[in-house]
Amino acid sequence: MPKFTSELVNDLAKKLLIGLTPEENKIVLDEFLIIDENLQKVEKFENIKSVEPMTHCLDDFIYTLREDEIKPSISIENALRNCEKVEGREVEVPKVVGGEN
Amino acid sequence: MSKYKAVIGLEMHCEFKSNSKVFSSARNSYSEIPNENISAVDMAFPGILPVVNKKCVRDALMMSMVLHCKQPEFMYFDRKNYYYPDLPKGYQITQMTEPVGIDGCIEIECNGERKKVFIHDIHLEEDTASLDHYYDTSCIDYNRAGVPLVELVTEPCLNSAEEAVTFLETMRSIYKYCDVSEADTKKGQIRCDVNISIMDWDATEYGTRVEIKNVNSFGGVRDAINYEIKRQSELKDAGRYSEVEQETRRWDEEEGKTIRMRSKVDAIDYKYFVDPNLPKFKIAKEWLEEIKKDIPLLPLERKEKYIRELGLSDYDAGIIVKERNYAEYFEECLELGIDAKTASNWLSTQILGQINEKEISLKEFYLTPTLLKQIVEEVNKGTISSKQAKEVFYKSIDEKKEPKSFITNDMTQISDKRELENIINTILEENRNQVKEYKNGKDNLFDYFVGQVMKNTRGKANPILTKDILKEKLNN
Amino acid sequence: MDKTIKELHEMLQNGEMTSKDLIQESLKKSYEVQEKYNAFVTILDDAKETPVTNNLLSGIPFGIKDNYSTKDILSTGSSNTLKNYVPFFNATAVEKLLSAGAVPINKTVLDEFGMGGTGTTGHTGIVKNPWDSTRITAGSSAGSACAVAAGVYPYALGSDTGDSIRKPAAYCGIVGYKPTYGMISRYGLFPFASSLDHCGVLARNVQDVAIVVDTMKGLDDKDMTTWDSSTIHLYENLDGKVGGKKLCYIKELCDIENYENPTEELKRHLENFKEKLAICEKLGMEVVEVSIDKKLLSALPSVYVAISCAEATSNLSNLTGILFGSRGEGRNIMEMMMDHRTKGFSPLIKRRFVIGSYILQKENQERYLKNAQRVRRLLVDTWKNLFKTFDAVILPVGSGPAKHLDSGNDILTKNAEILEEHLQIGNFGGFPSITIPDGFINNLPVALNITGNCYDDENVLNIAYAIESAMPYKNQIAKEVSHE
Repeated sequence: MPKFTSELVNDLAKKLLIGLTPEENKIVLDEFLIIDENLQKVEKFENIKSVEPMTHCLDDFIYTLREDEIKPSISIENALRNCEKVEGREVEVPKVVGGEN
Repeated sequence: MSKYKAVIGLEMHCEFKSNSKVFSSARNSYSEIPNENISAVDMAFPGILPVVNKKCVRDALMMSMVLHCKQPEFMYFDRKNYYYPDLPKGYQITQMTEPVGIDGCIEIECNGERKKVFIHDIHLEEDTASLDHYYDTSCIDYNRAGVPLVELVTEPCLNSAEEAVTFLETMRSIYKYCDVSEADTKKGQIRCDVNISIMDWDATEYGTRVEIKNVNSFGGVRDAINYEIKRQSELKDAGRYSEVEQETRRWDEEEGKTIRMRSKVDAIDYKYFVDPNLPKFKIAKEWLEEIKKDIPLLPLERKEKYIRELGLSDYDAGIIVKERNYAEYFEECLELGIDAKTASNWLSTQILGQINEKEISLKEFYLTPTLLKQIVEEVNKGTISSKQAKEVFYKSIDEKKEPKSFITNDMTQISDKRELENIINTILEENRNQVKEYKNGKDNLFDYFVGQVMKNTRGKANPILTKDILKEKLNN
Repeated sequence: MDKTIKELHEMLQNGEMTSKDLIQESLKKSYEVQEKYNAFVTILDDAKETPVTNNLLSGIPFGIKDNYSTKDILSTGSSNTLKNYVPFFNATAVEKLLSAGAVPINKTVLDEFGMGGTGTTGHTGIVKNPWDSTRITAGSSAGSACAVAAGVYPYALGSDTGDSIRKPAAYCGIVGYKPTYGMISRYGLFPFASSLDHCGVLARNVQDVAIVVDTMKGLDDKDMTTWDSSTIHLYENLDGKVGGKKLCYIKELCDIENYENPTEELKRHLENFKEKLAICEKLGMEVVEVSIDKKLLSALPSVYVAISCAEATSNLSNLTGILFGSRGEGRNIMEMMMDHRTKGFSPLIKRRFVIGSYILQKENQERYLKNAQRVRRLLVDTWKNLFKTFDAVILPVGSGPAKHLDSGNDILTKNAEILEEHLQIGNFGGFPSITIPDGFINNLPVALNITGNCYDDENVLNIAYAIESAMPYKNQIAKEVSHE
């Protein structure tokens, strides 16, 4: 069975809350093959596993943490000015049933 | 002993105290008014960035030390990715790669027995927004989004609902002792997930693990575990153990049962990865030392100390260490020179009785240790009886006046021998018949004479002296 | 508007013209450029003049890429998902420019959320190259590059995740600079890939980018990745004294022998580059050819794709049309979120999300993401090693001038050339990196890039300044080629 299938692509997209057309699906599939091939080369680098993954852009100095001080809340007008459905001071959505998490 | 061995692991989430939220400067405080304590960061407007609150890290590190965990040299934050309307960014900032603590353990005391609970890890993360549900809509309130949340994960090392609840209570008490959280389940500040499986006592492999999500009270944890043990045991008894699935269930408080949410195959891949916006943070040794100094003596250690050094009973010591407030009140009494047993008696009976009845905290209680001392001293001097002491106690807290003001000369005991002899002579004169009967052998009339003396002096006669004089006079 | 910031500032101070005059001219130019090249999402007709102070930027118009949050001004990221989004706060970098008295004139088009290198994927349509409107500007800071090159104003803000400032600057014949990571706060910049995203600026000369970044930079308590750069003074330190500086270029990229069937354009581009190296030597700099493991270099594009897609997938998860953005349709909330995202994102970036999501899957992370992050470190360490000996690495940008719009294909191909992608190294390591025009091929601009070590921005800009001063391409305004 091939590693990359259009079902896999659709499933990934669905979990991202994204719908794909068959053409979009095809483009992703093709690109997967290229990326996979290139990253396979990476795996073959000598001692690659001993290298610490670089997760941040700069990691050579000590950062400071924020002091525990309060800044005033933003106004409710600002908070909701871009929201299409507002109820009172809250964002209204259709009834959420069941837990996702 | 139950038929099967239950194996239980807990995930305990607890909201922590701070002025501002963990990754934003909005106020960390519960509010009835929706969206009152919010910042752009909490609501995930495009372009916002998280900034870590030092106090939250400090408190989480303190708990890491309390739980005897290892602290990392560099702390990281990770993103847990999933979509839900209460999760504004589409990911929760949490810790996975290098949490504030791993591999710890803590002792609990369950039914008089000590047990070590092993801690997988403890980490700092953010709470989600909350949803208010209406008839056919839900409303999003972002006040809670970004509130600091500390999650601790135990190894599967607990074996009964009782142990699980004891562990949770121990942790709650520690959080409160360390003043890092109000740890109030009624306010929804503590939420638990429970992992549970059963196995034969002589088995070496764990059974199938079921996860119960979002149990929001300790009673719920107890009931959910017991329900699940029963459910799994019954299936095992019936030879249908294969029907116990590795799955996620939820606890339905009203129905009193666990209900299936999803099976393992549908498990969500949260795609954890290191958050590049939060630089890895070097935890300085000196800072850890500083934090360590601020850790108070914890309940179990304190209890041991009270028993060992002060000779308190296990029971009394247990009551006093239950809350840090109690222990502090108690220790203040000791500092003022009040005897440990006396202080312990007052605290565990009258004082806790009062604050429970009035539903106030000990901090709000009028009678401070200094005021209590006024009463205790008079009792020691013998100027008031213990019965009077209690009267003064209640008067003082009712009227919010110093006990001293109720201890008048009028109240003090009559301990003057000549004065008492005069009173007793009069009483014996007035009760000649009874004296005669007593002398004829009716011994139990002795208490009657004591009673008469007390009645006459309105309880102020020194009881020991009274008895001595009476014996002397009646037996001659 | 074809003047430098300093010249404009002097004219304002002398009273030769007013801030209002400049604004009117800039607005007029904006409409012309919009008509011809489609560079803007929003033109701010009500732009107000500001008092002229001692600040060099006061009273002078500028442009803002539409992925910077601008208070009370539409900020779309060139995406349908945010086509109506009006922020209530300014990005820190914008705020700093406003405080200096700078006057925003328009919001410029980008590739949707910066995820593209062509300038053709914004929700308001493609941006055309002002030197040749049949060609791309490159992206993602397409509108900013186009407008600065066309002389709408002396500078515009850009952002750079792979080469999004430096490539379009090259194709439009102007200067593009992204400073060391964390020198400018990213607060308020719509994210693409947080560990690679940089704020920066496009202008027509090195002095101008120095002036603007001096104003934009600084420690920001809203961005934990910023650092204190108060001892760095880019503009003051431009003295053009580069004698004794050491530069290196990479054989594997610059030697035509390395390319099978090179195009005429590529040949000329590399020849032109070599000529410019001779200029560097004439300026008293030492220029050395170095060799880098080709295997390592060839991993570069995949490393970029893996890391940027993974981070982007997560970064754009907040776009669900609930709190902002238009509501999607559906029977329940999850369906509504999905509808919003399906309709709002272009195919190009949906593709990146799916790839990113695959890379982030638990079972794939080690193989894809972590290995990519490991190679990232190898590449960065290789460059840092060069910086032990050299002040900067000098390289040609791209394989020639801007490509034609009809071949502007942003899909990764098997033959992706490292020459097209090497600027990403500057993002991997957070290195200060600047592109300056270095000549023409068929009347279309080409460019070279100078990249130095972190925190060494003064040195990098000074080298760029010296080379720029020895070439005739400073302050050029686009002249459209004829197609007869």
